[in-house]
Amino acid sequence: MSSMPKEGHRGKTKMEDIEGDASVGGGGRYTLKPTRISNEDIIICVDVDAESLVEMKTAGITRLDSIKQAILLFVNSKLSINPDHRFAFATLSKSASWLRKEFSSDVESAIGAVRALSATTVSSGQADLTSLFRLAAYEAKKSRAQNRILRLILIYCRSSVRPHHQWPVNQKLFTLDVMYLHDKPGPDNCPQAVYDALVDALEHVSEYEGYIHESGHGLPRTLFRFMSMLLSHPQQRCPQDDCDIPKPLMKKSAESANGEDNVHVSPSQ
Amino acid sequence: MSFDGFPPFISAQLHYLLNHFPDKIKVEQVVSGGNKSYGVGLDRFTLLIPYCLDYIKWDVIYNAEFPLAPPDIIFGPEDEDFHPLHMTGAEGEGDLKSLTRNILSDWNNKDPTRLLALIQEMRDQYMSYQRKRVGEVDDDRLKFEISTICSREGIEMHISSGAEKPEEVKFAVPLMDMNINKMVHGCPWRHPQKIYLQVIYPVGRKYASTPSAPRLKLMSTIELRALFSIDDVKLPSWLDGMCMAEYLPHLEESLQKQVLEAVSLIDIRRCFIEALTPLFGRPLEADPVFCRKATFLASSGSFVFLVHFLFSTQFPKQQPALMLQSSQHISPQGVPKKSPLLTEYPWSPRWEVSQMSERIFDFLADESLNFKRFCNESQPQH
Repeated sequence: MSSMPKEGHRGKTKMEDIEGDASVGGGGRYTLKPTRISNEDIIICVDVDAESLVEMKTAGITRLDSIKQAILLFVNSKLSINPDHRFAFATLSKSASWLRKEFSSDVESAIGAVRALSATTVSSGQADLTSLFRLAAYEAKKSRAQNRILRLILIYCRSSVRPHHQWPVNQKLFTLDVMYLHDKPGPDNCPQAVYDALVDALEHVSEYEGYIHESGHGLPRTLFRFMSMLLSHPQQRCPQDDCDIPKPLMKKSAESANGEDNVHVSPSQ
Repeated sequence: MSFDGFPPFISAQLHYLLNHFPDKIKVEQVVSGGNKSYGVGLDRFTLLIPYCLDYIKWDVIYNAEFPLAPPDIIFGPEDEDFHPLHMTGAEGEGDLKSLTRNILSDWNNKDPTRLLALIQEMRDQYMSYQRKRVGEVDDDRLKFEISTICSREGIEMHISSGAEKPEEVKFAVPLMDMNINKMVHGCPWRHPQKIYLQVIYPVGRKYASTPSAPRLKLMSTIELRALFSIDDVKLPSWLDGMCMAEYLPHLEESLQKQVLEAVSLIDIRRCFIEALTPLFGRPLEADPVFCRKATFLASSGSFVFLVHFLFSTQFPKQQPALMLQSSQHISPQGVPKKSPLLTEYPWSPRWEVSQMSERIFDFLADESLNFKRFCNESQPQH
């Protein structure tokens, strides 16, 4: 659940425990209906603006480094859930461009694409999502013809540049998820406004329920956690506000025995 | 599968064949017959056509330099006597001959459906040819067997005569007239799933006192495995002096029961996955049609990991196999950290579903601590 308040239903208005484990979640009882779900074609689009080179809390590791790691973890996890999902890669600076256009379920291909990710040295200035959506919509038609669904995962890194887009109102051909990494809010930036713009885009274009997560804390672990939540299959999702995962695996008798952990979870993280 | 290098008219016919043939047909050994320096392109290939629970290999030879002509088909070395255009014999085969003649004389290379029509027609003739050959075998017992099952639809026969091997006659008997596809909600199968009994008789033992049992083997279309595994089926024994006409109904009745049970087990698995959600949360992804697997996201402190549940067709008699996978640890070679497949833990199929869920939850709560330690030892958490 997001700790950034925003207009609309997504997210709460108070700062919340990011690890958020609501005891009653899912918005009602879960049922596994006997309707086919499609294999996914997933485009991972990474914002390669200069802000992707901002360091994470771990010294010597940039946002882009963590993003690369997160992508490999994501691809591996997704393929272990279902080896028939496929991936392609794109980048976003001023607008979108392909990094690896052919969809593939081969991990080696993803490793190669991730290695090729590099940031621009100069600020891109603006972020036009329209080109990205056009690219995704085009691929979505091809995916649909193969009985697959298309998902676009945007990993965005800019704290002051609100992305913009122009898109027909009722064209929802793919699902959009967003992972937003930003600086802590201050007088010289506007991550809240950027977040709101991302939520608008998501709600505008997304075919199935899209998820958005954000983090300003600079912990790679948080990024990995949120990316793991994006593993959920769009056709089997609940509304984001009802998300109740990950659930802690703790025996009721052992709630206080967290000796294994060096870092205890707390809201300030 | 793309066929680059074929002239478009061949490519179109081959694609149509592959997409519309009722069973899985394979293509291999694609070559060019023409002089490569003229760039005439590929024009010949080998087809592996399913027949009698095996494949027959036929070479299809177009000639890219004469695109209007129909292809030649070369049959396997064992089938030197197979001449689809020249078959004489029983009534009705005159019609088959003329049908083949029509397909070939009326060849239209612009019609993508022609190759399929030709291959299907040839295959039908091949079936008749094999039937005839089997019928000619001088073995009274075999003749008797054939006469009792002849009326069954869809039986394919094959007689193999290798130089070193003794002659054997193989039957592929489709079992059960059940539309299994219809029994599965949300069924994704493109082809009807079938179970066959393969029956192999040795030939030529004229002086055996009691006819020995034939070799029996159950086979099924591959996709059926998601629902039902024929490996789990124990074939009823073939009693002395039995014949296929007696054996088959017995087997079919038993199989029918097992298939019906397998279908009912889908919902048992479905309910179990649903019962996991109060403790494990909503799964990231679950197989909605056969309910053979589900993956959840769990945490142990700040350690976040995936929990994979794998259900065999024998669930709940056989407990689910579990596997943990870290969402945070990856080796330098790009391999994520996984636990081994966990199959031994407290389990009883007689427990209430909620108890099964709780017991697995407790087991995994402990196991995840071990797993976390294992992940952190080889590599510190980020």
